Amino acid sequence: MAKYLGLDKVGKLFQIIQQSGGLRAAYKKLYRFDELKIGSLVGTDKYGNKYFENPYYFYGRNRWVEYAHHQNMDYDGSQIPAEWFGWMHYKTDLPPIRDGARVQHKWMASHSENLSGTKEQYMPYTTTKPKYEAWDPKKK
Amino acid sequence: MIRAPLTKALSLGSSTSPIHKIAAAAFRTTAVTAQIPAKAPEKIEVFVDDIPVHVEPGTTILQAAAVAGVEIPRFCYHERLAVAGNCRMCLVEIEKSPKLAAACAMPVMKGWRIKTNSEKTRQAREGVMEFLLMNHPLDCPICDQGGECDLQDQAMAFGSDRSRFTDINHSGKRAVEDKDIGPLVKTIMTRCIHCTRCIRFASEIAGVDDLGTTGRGNDMQIGTYVEKLFLSEMSGNVIDLCPVGALTNKPFSFAARPWETRKISSIDVLDAVGSNIIVSTRTNEVLRILPRENEEINEEWLADKSRFACDGLKRQRLVAPMVRIKGELTPVEWEGALIEVGQKVRAANGAVAGVAGSLADVESMVALKDLLNRVGSEAVCTEQSFPSEGSGADLRSNYLFNRNIQSLETADVALLIGTNPRYEAPLINTRLRKAYVHNELEVASIGPKIDLSYRHNNLGDDSNLITQICNGTHPFAAKLKEAKNPAIIVGSDLLARPDGAGILANLQNFAKGFKSTSALNVLQRNASQAGALDIGYQAGVEEAIKSKPKVLFLLNADEAKVTRDQLPKDCYIVYVGHHGDEGAQIADAVLPGVAYTEKTATYVNTEGRAQQTLAAVSPPGLARDDWKIFRAISEIVGAPLPYDSLEEIRDRLDDIAPHLIRHGHLEANSFQTVAPQLSAAPSISSGKVSVQQLSLKDYFMTDPISRASPTMAKCIQAAKKEGEKKAASASC
Amino acid sequence: MSAIKLFSLTRNGNRAIPLCSSRAYSTSKDKEILPPLKGYKYVNNLDPAMDITSITNRAAQQIFWTELLSGFGVTLAHIFKEPATINYPFEKGPLSPRFRGEHALRRYPSGEERCIACKLCEAICPAQAITIEAEERADGSRRTTRYDIDMTKCIYCGFCQEACPVDAIVEGPNFEFSTETHEELLYNKEKLLSNGDKWESEIASNLQADHLYR
Repeated sequence: MAKYLGLDKVGKLFQIIQQSGGLRAAYKKLYRFDELKIGSLVGTDKYGNKYFENPYYFYGRNRWVEYAHHQNMDYDGSQIPAEWFGWMHYKTDLPPIRDGARVQHKWMASHSENLSGTKEQYMPYTTTKPKYEAWDPKKK
Repeated sequence: MIRAPLTKALSLGSSTSPIHKIAAAAFRTTAVTAQIPAKAPEKIEVFVDDIPVHVEPGTTILQAAAVAGVEIPRFCYHERLAVAGNCRMCLVEIEKSPKLAAACAMPVMKGWRIKTNSEKTRQAREGVMEFLLMNHPLDCPICDQGGECDLQDQAMAFGSDRSRFTDINHSGKRAVEDKDIGPLVKTIMTRCIHCTRCIRFASEIAGVDDLGTTGRGNDMQIGTYVEKLFLSEMSGNVIDLCPVGALTNKPFSFAARPWETRKISSIDVLDAVGSNIIVSTRTNEVLRILPRENEEINEEWLADKSRFACDGLKRQRLVAPMVRIKGELTPVEWEGALIEVGQKVRAANGAVAGVAGSLADVESMVALKDLLNRVGSEAVCTEQSFPSEGSGADLRSNYLFNRNIQSLETADVALLIGTNPRYEAPLINTRLRKAYVHNELEVASIGPKIDLSYRHNNLGDDSNLITQICNGTHPFAAKLKEAKNPAIIVGSDLLARPDGAGILANLQNFAKGFKSTSALNVLQRNASQAGALDIGYQAGVEEAIKSKPKVLFLLNADEAKVTRDQLPKDCYIVYVGHHGDEGAQIADAVLPGVAYTEKTATYVNTEGRAQQTLAAVSPPGLARDDWKIFRAISEIVGAPLPYDSLEEIRDRLDDIAPHLIRHGHLEANSFQTVAPQLSAAPSISSGKVSVQQLSLKDYFMTDPISRASPTMAKCIQAAKKEGEKKAASASC
Repeated sequence: MSAIKLFSLTRNGNRAIPLCSSRAYSTSKDKEILPPLKGYKYVNNLDPAMDITSITNRAAQQIFWTELLSGFGVTLAHIFKEPATINYPFEKGPLSPRFRGEHALRRYPSGEERCIACKLCEAICPAQAITIEAEERADGSRRTTRYDIDMTKCIYCGFCQEACPVDAIVEGPNFEFSTETHEELLYNKEKLLSNGDKWESEIASNLQADHLYR
């Protein structure tokens, strides 16, 4: 009966607000993420991004990320590190924290977001020596 | 046991026991008989893939197929080398013959029907390919031969489409240790397919028996047996000969792929032979230089300096005009430099002189001469001296290599005076060696004892020997007189001596009595010399110094023949050239010109053959064509030269001497008989006949380009070390 | 008339029906609408019915804005339904392991760069986006000194990774590398190597996922 009247949705809303940690927190979350969803926490990467999953939502919406708190409103799609990329994009159901086969090399670099438009942005430079070596009259 | 080919017996350093002599004689006779066919032999008809061809008896199947236009795959066979017949790639089927025959070694018989594309032939090729690839590493991606590899191409064309190579025991492929044979040739011996082309080249063409094979079967290796460098002035050619990537170009290693390079036909100017070359460039950078086939000059070989000095083109370059400000050469803009030079020329009031060095091209020399003539000076000269007494440089035959290079092959007696052709003109020396091997050429030399890569009779280094030869008292004079095709080769350095005129006159008088009119040859060392004398330059810097110039132009003059203290104190020296070398150091103004790979210019080789280089890359920095620099100065001086484009300056060359624009064409020399009548009183002062380039270490650095080349520096180091090693082993 | 004839031929030999129906068509002069064949559906707009009830209904709909109200109703209903779109930076769409995104140069597990400067990728690149210069490194191995990819020329065809004999150049999974300026997309060797270092975890697992088909 409640289902027909849509009262389960109201119940869910209360659950979501409860999981978000109160009305204020829920509002903040809604402001940051445009959406309030309930799900189980799958894992957290080393940058603080939290990954959630809830099969209640349909495929494509059943996995989501809550960007690290310190990012505030500067979240960006490119902040998801390579390890979580496959899980986020439904390539694998195995989140990296449970995937023992993932390669780990000491030369592997930590992730960085797309830095275009910032001071640290990549600017091309040559990696070769100049083709001609000019004569220097002072050098004998 | 080292297995060297039979020609080893020919080599200079080998034992002189009677048996060896007989073996050598036998070899040479067979070579000669092979060379000269019997009187008008009847041609025989064979069928190659049902195409009828008529060939001379003794022709191999492979040559007959070439006549029919059928190409038979091969690895070991090479037209200019002896037949080895060890790669078995050229196996073909002959009708009614139970076994396949190696096409490179099998002479054809009358009426043979050769099938080069039958099932049996194809199977045989596939089998040979399979055996070759079994022990060939699959490292094509890192192999420098990739893209120009015979093995790659033929595996694609004739190999099987699948592999049966399964290394079930993991025994691995054959692996061979790499040899260190010098700073020019890189060896990856695992890739070697034992075609022995390099061995045959070294012993037959280069005349050094350094390479050979050890072991047999799967253990066969190509190498030097004892650790030793393969040092020869021709060593780079084994890179071209190697059908796989076993021998590759060390300075060029890993630099580029053959499919991504632009190839420009050009001319080499580092010696006076004028070898035809291909300049391989990529992203405006000269990467390597390869020989271009020209039967009349360099066949398909190239000397090492010409091939490997190209990295000198990228170092020590003059990239901006420079003017001496407060005692220091400081880069300035073109405008400032040109105005400064122009003002000095104007102020000099005709007291201007010009000196052209070894790398100057004819166009810029003409522009310099025209400029100087317009401001009222006649003092243009070359760095290299040549006697001016008698007919001097007025007759072309006096300063040219009159008997052309190709016809040296037919010479039977040769006398070398004051020259070491092995290092002054390596490709002329290979022709002499070819005549020695195939035509029983007898060589004698006057000068210090040198190694010419073939046996020759050193008459001594006394100048009086020349007099003795000329007045016929020396026994060798008679040999020259009787010879059908004699050749006397005189070094240009010998004629630069004060008594050069006397030597030349004596020899000309002596050569009058020969059976061949063009027996006397002068071997120039500079690519510019013949061209400069052709357009009326005076030989030797004395003239320029004598004229007490206020402004002196040095065009590529880097031999330090002119020094500061020979000139008036206030003399303003302008250097036009491409490298910061001797000339630029003493200059007050440096105007950056371009090197031979960057300009389209004419050079005349020692035979008198005009050839042109083509611009392969654009000049570095602010450098400009040399003749354009003189054209710009003439504008400021107020006496503009009447040409603005290459075509127009070529028209000017045509006016001066028409042969200068007939590129590649050799003008016949006359006046050889007139010359002695005009010659001055012949007198030869006593003394020693010397040669500048005695051993290999003197060969590598002779001009600004090779002096700037790190590869050439490495070569000299290697040659010195090898010389020390040899001396040490000789002493103990 | 010819149209009717043609039509009649398509019927399964039954010539009686077209005869009687042709009479019906001739009565309505301006529009002749054939009844759809069995199994077919008429897709064009039908003319509004012109009987009095229909006309009255239409008038009432217009006067009382009922269409507008039902439209609001649909909108209101969708507020309570789950959206059909994904909320992009937080939710992401599915990708294949073979996805061809941003390029990267990989390394061997030892940390040695894989690229051997064979230049096959440069040769095969149909957009000529790759430029390589190579020389012998101090230890004698064949390495590139320049490995530039103009990402604005690249057409992401993936031929470079197909051509590579050592799996050095790969098109990684990343597609979020848009930039504000053109020159930021002119990648050089260091950038490509650092891409490889960053994405190796995902590149390796993609190659692993696809290894059976390569």
